[in-house]
Amino acid sequence: MVSSARRFVLGAALLAASPLVLGEYAQQILSQAFFFAIAAITVDLLWGYTGILTFGQSAFFGVGVYTVALALAYYVEGALGTAAVMLGAMVAAALIGAAVGWLSFFDRASPIYVAIVTLALPVVFTQVILSGGAYTGSSSGLPIPVPAFSIMQWYWISGGLLLLVALVSSVLVSSDTGRLLVAIRENEERCRYLGLRTSRLKIRLMAACSAVAALAGSGYVLFASVAAHSYGDFVFGTELVVWTALGGRGTLVGPILGTVGVNYVSAVLGGNLPFVWLLFVGFAFVLIVVYLPQGLVPAIAGALSRVSVGSARARATTLQVRPAAAGSGARRRNATPGEEQGTPVLELRKVSKRYGSLQVLDGVSLQARRGEVVGIVGPNGAGKTTLLRCIADGRERSSGDILVNGRPIAGLPPQECVALGVSRKFQTPNVFDALSVLDCLRVARAYRASTSLWRRSHTVELPEPALHAVQVSGLLSLLDEPAGHLSHGAKQALELAMVLALEPTVLLLDEPTAGLTREERAAIGGVLTELAQSHRLSILLIEHDLDFVREISTRLVVLHMGKVLADGPLAEVAESEVIRTIYVGGATRP
Amino acid sequence: MIADDVERAALAVEGLEGGYADSAVLHGVTLDVRPAEIFAILGKNGMGKTTLLKTMMGLLPARRGRVEVLGADVSGWAPYRITRLGVSYVPQEKSIFQDLSVEENLRLALRELSEFTDRLEAVARSFPILKARRGQRAGTLSGGEQKMLLIGRALLTRPRLVLVDEISEGLQPAVVTRLQEVLTDERRARGLAIVLVEQNVDFALALADRYAVLKVGTVVETGRTADAGVRERVERHLAL
Repeated sequence: MVSSARRFVLGAALLAASPLVLGEYAQQILSQAFFFAIAAITVDLLWGYTGILTFGQSAFFGVGVYTVALALAYYVEGALGTAAVMLGAMVAAALIGAAVGWLSFFDRASPIYVAIVTLALPVVFTQVILSGGAYTGSSSGLPIPVPAFSIMQWYWISGGLLLLVALVSSVLVSSDTGRLLVAIRENEERCRYLGLRTSRLKIRLMAACSAVAALAGSGYVLFASVAAHSYGDFVFGTELVVWTALGGRGTLVGPILGTVGVNYVSAVLGGNLPFVWLLFVGFAFVLIVVYLPQGLVPAIAGALSRVSVGSARARATTLQVRPAAAGSGARRRNATPGEEQGTPVLELRKVSKRYGSLQVLDGVSLQARRGEVVGIVGPNGAGKTTLLRCIADGRERSSGDILVNGRPIAGLPPQECVALGVSRKFQTPNVFDALSVLDCLRVARAYRASTSLWRRSHTVELPEPALHAVQVSGLLSLLDEPAGHLSHGAKQALELAMVLALEPTVLLLDEPTAGLTREERAAIGGVLTELAQSHRLSILLIEHDLDFVREISTRLVVLHMGKVLADGPLAEVAESEVIRTIYVGGATRP
Repeated sequence: MIADDVERAALAVEGLEGGYADSAVLHGVTLDVRPAEIFAILGKNGMGKTTLLKTMMGLLPARRGRVEVLGADVSGWAPYRITRLGVSYVPQEKSIFQDLSVEENLRLALRELSEFTDRLEAVARSFPILKARRGQRAGTLSGGEQKMLLIGRALLTRPRLVLVDEISEGLQPAVVTRLQEVLTDERRARGLAIVLVEQNVDFALALADRYAVLKVGTVVETGRTADAGVRERVERHLAL
């Protein structure tokens, strides 16, 4: 916050003083670039921070351009009317943006959907404008009466608007919500399994960014005094992406510099070297893509940080982990009815799962109660991971019923299974590589509290079991480290802590100790036993290490070729013939 | 560096330093692996084992030091060139081609496909599922089966040196035992040298001839696994 405020003041000072040295021509070019840069910032928020590649921001810019142009050409006049129309354009763009988001971000949508939908949008927009005849001005554009501002005034208006949008965006991306956006970019699946409604957040962001792009468009048309379809077309939409990439995505400053730089240089070169300049721009683009794939700003920032290391890091280490207020876990426990001792918290009835012709689960029935650690063993390919997947995502199984705390999970996506008390740890460690350890833990807690749009919390409150897992695994000394730099074992521990931060009643663990040393295993084993005994969790645990399973399980389920082969107290099953064949030889699926 | 008069070392590393952009992980690692030797690299999590393998393979840049593979100085080489010397790397993460079939995944390992059928037979003796389910999409294999595919693909190229990261992880014990046999056979039959990074100390010590313990990016101990008291010494390093 402090640094963004400082940058804002610096930017404002620069903006106020620059007309002293810049001629009118330069001011005019820059005013145009400033409006474009606002649209580029929305591209950065969507693509750079959240990972939503969009080519459609030009269409929203165009909605702003044409709403204002049509209104001023035919229906309204005066400052008040113009302001009302601009507001209307933003609302219209937000509604279209929300609709686009709703179309593109349904739960199982691949990231490519949104790129395709937003690619189509400017094409549709251009066709609508071109087929509007004299009403829209078609291909020759629509001239409009505009307010009489001087060039310097326009320079300050556009620059001020850009600064304002940049400031708000920078507050947003450094807030708790901003951290969630990065988490979505890094690993949306993990976000869903942490109970976060990612689609809703993405739709809201899309709507907000569309409104801001429309604001830029409506401001621009007042400056340019003529509406042209090219401000809403696919080429402009792509240029916004290119400028953002050139400047450096995920930086906010990058898209501004990229947009302003390319537009200014193009204008200057375009005057002096009418045909060759495109070649220069193209060449520069190729060079940057090849040598600075992250864009200009990260490259410059990287060079600077090598010169001066320290301040940011020093501040970060003052962050801390705190135990969550007592009773926050108990609250939910009381809230779910019908779970006295003895009634199962998890019940599977004849659950089957097929992938095409491959039958992975075949009529699996089992129950788990509070305080139980159920070890699930079986050969590779027996269906163990699929079983956990079916419990954590109500849409996975092909047939059968799964009840959590007495409620069927049929059709529920992962984030809603989390709300019922199911948490899943993946087989391969699944964390947010670009976020620090502490931020990963914060994201895991995000679903418990509303996330601020402007504040960034400096502590994270963890429930006791999660805190315990952080302590025994030595993560406390690595809180500032990006999760991507952690060793395999530390990632495992981090993911376990994240999952425990959800305060689940049913905990699904897929090989939680793979890649850990004996001591680390023992520590994690201690955490799990404690969870079952003191916190009355029901734990389902997939493990190949039979010694480990013996140490902590109360019950053993043997899965083989998708069927339950044995289910009973540890002592009985562990000595059975079935176990021996699996562990000593032979029992792989042919 | 221990370069044998008769045979050159399969792998020799000298004063290797490296890490990621803003954090140094390796602080001068020196070790050597002889032809037909099985060598285990042990150590706690976060001590630089995986980073060491990646740096030796050219997947991460080395800041200082030398890596020699099968007699060639490969310092600064791109991974594909190192691979062509006859080196296979089995990473810890399941880096298979999810959308390709099992067979397509295996075929991609070979530059010359004429021997594919024979070699598939040989690999299928160790891991029958790779042949039985050759048409299945690799992404739909279970975690352990993907691991088998990864190992099978590495052995298919008949390498002279393999580097394997946490090979026993996620495999059922019977398969781990099988794997142990396969690796020993390959070594005996073709003189394959193997570098293992392992958490599973029992597996590593049972299989390896020599070992090194890595701690905060340097080798703190090396020795022969057959020597007395090795287990206790290693466990002590891992506990501290």
